[in-house]
Amino acid sequence: MRNKGLIEVIKKGLFWLLVIIIFIYLVFPFYWAINSSLKSEAQLQMTPATFVPRDPETYKFAPTLQNYRAVFSNDKFVRGLINSAIVSMLTTLLALAVGSVSAFALGKLRFKGKTLSLYLILAMTMFPQVTVLSGLYAVINHLGIKAIPSMILSYMLFTLPFTTWVMTSFFKSLPNELLQSAQVDGATPFQTFYKILLPLTAPALVTTGLLSFIAAWNEYLFALTFTSIEPTARTVPVAIALFTGEVSRQIPFGEIMAAAVIVTIPLVVLVLIFQKRIVAGLTAGAVKG
Amino acid sequence: MFSKLKIKGGRPKQTNSNTSELARREQRLAYTLLLPTFIILALIAFYPLGQVFYTSFTDKTFASGEKTHFIGFDNYKRLLSITIKELPPIIDEKTGKQKIDPRTGEKLYERAIRVLPRKPIRYRELTQFSLFGKRYVIGATDRDFIQAIWNTISFTVISVLAETILGLGIALVMNSNFKGRGIMRATMLVPWAVITVVSARIWEFMLAPSRIGFFNMIFEKLGIGDGNMVFLSNKSIALPTLIIVDVWKTTPFMALLILAGLQLIPKSIYEAAKVDGASPIRQFFSITLPLLKPSLAVALVFRTLDALRVFDIFQVLLAQKTYSMASYNYYQLIGNRAMGLASAIGVIIFIIIFGFAVLYMKLLGVDTE
Repeated sequence: MRNKGLIEVIKKGLFWLLVIIIFIYLVFPFYWAINSSLKSEAQLQMTPATFVPRDPETYKFAPTLQNYRAVFSNDKFVRGLINSAIVSMLTTLLALAVGSVSAFALGKLRFKGKTLSLYLILAMTMFPQVTVLSGLYAVINHLGIKAIPSMILSYMLFTLPFTTWVMTSFFKSLPNELLQSAQVDGATPFQTFYKILLPLTAPALVTTGLLSFIAAWNEYLFALTFTSIEPTARTVPVAIALFTGEVSRQIPFGEIMAAAVIVTIPLVVLVLIFQKRIVAGLTAGAVKG
Repeated sequence: MFSKLKIKGGRPKQTNSNTSELARREQRLAYTLLLPTFIILALIAFYPLGQVFYTSFTDKTFASGEKTHFIGFDNYKRLLSITIKELPPIIDEKTGKQKIDPRTGEKLYERAIRVLPRKPIRYRELTQFSLFGKRYVIGATDRDFIQAIWNTISFTVISVLAETILGLGIALVMNSNFKGRGIMRATMLVPWAVITVVSARIWEFMLAPSRIGFFNMIFEKLGIGDGNMVFLSNKSIALPTLIIVDVWKTTPFMALLILAGLQLIPKSIYEAAKVDGASPIRQFFSITLPLLKPSLAVALVFRTLDALRVFDIFQVLLAQKTYSMASYNYYQLIGNRAMGLASAIGVIIFIIIFGFAVLYMKLLGVDTE
């Protein structure tokens, strides 16, 4: 008996050790960014580098908020945050709405040309962004679309195939008995889709939504191109990339790190809010057997 | 409808007009549901992609008024021409035997530049190898691009493999029930949430070639290296370093997709397996892995696709020293303004990616039907 208890304790200890290792691995470079963002230019140049901001002479803990002040007083950055939020949110919603409807057809309905459709959708995302850029720019120009909607539309090039494919695989994995019983109850295919299947794929919707949101939040090249004539529409990555040092042409590392921290925190909060939706066992109990 | 049809289809033929009517309705519904996706893709993809194909057969210059000519496959020939030539040994006139380097003791061969063809385009030496006592040289008309293909593919294979294994491990840990799981799931996404260009900068700073960088500071404390290790300019460790950066950045993508896939596996199956006395390892290989295959396959396809198009980290961390396919494409378009050539690179990348995608579907048995 005692032995068994000991094994349990060791198992638990090893598990927590694993969790801690994973935690440090995932977070450390971000911690380093926070650490660097609280250092002054002189502190950044200190050798050896310190784990917390320290005064170069007295070696006491001496963080500074000057980088954060500089970033927040930069209205291009603040406007970038708002633009990024709008663009990423609308991109995600559009991709999820359009993509999951297609995914339902591709995952659960039988029709001619299914394989072709799947490959065609995937093929859209197989070109490097640089190559597509000039053609896409011509289309957007020709249609006279403004910067923000043009970003949303062009981001569909990578978010739509992604959401469609991931949701298709999830729809496929849902048991067919669900559909049959709905049908027996007299539900139309569309009712089956949004009343039964959609709630069941909530974890998948949240997952793909988060990943698409982050992809849109990160996108740089399209944003740079489409906001070139409309600087007020610039998103955060573009704003950060255009940071320049005040004194020389040297890269303002402290400010970039502060901006990185500010830009990442909303996403972490977002994940914290939504992670409950990625909840275990949603499908368990939905079907017997 | 739905699977009922499947069941019916499996039975002996049944000429039921009701069924075919249902099948037709199902098909119509499917097309209607696919319509919005195809309208959006038609709007943003068909013309730009078509233009890429067309431009790849021309000598178009980027952002200039110069006249464009149709040049057929010249761009492709320039990019992909490879040749293998045998290097003749240098014969010592006195002994009639092959000359040997007196210092290294190696056999001497003719210089590659004298063997490789120069017309119509000059071939440059890519690498040399020996086979059955003979020495060969591989030459390419666009050495940088062939090197970029090689860099990108090795980068992709190693980093995707590492990300999948790490991602699977992390997802399995996150899938078990423990206190603080919510916070761990949020932190799990931190690397993916950091803007790519910025995360490249964070790593650039951590990898700084002096002790202002984290790695040199820690290595020196641990007694490895002299605190002035050059991670990014040294050709032999630049690519492995880049892979480590990429693995850190994108493991969360894999982990989250795998985690979502794990959530879809009904818990009841595990309970049944436990009753039957299956060990956790056995459960993993006979339940988790097979049931996870569809989501794993999709995650792999998208991750590989992305890795093959890798751009940002090559551009920021290695600047113009080592190219990936996409950063070479960028260099040709923006740096050289060779739009025709850049388009051809785009098409070649597309073909390589498509090849990988098809290979995956076949290997992983993703049924698209």
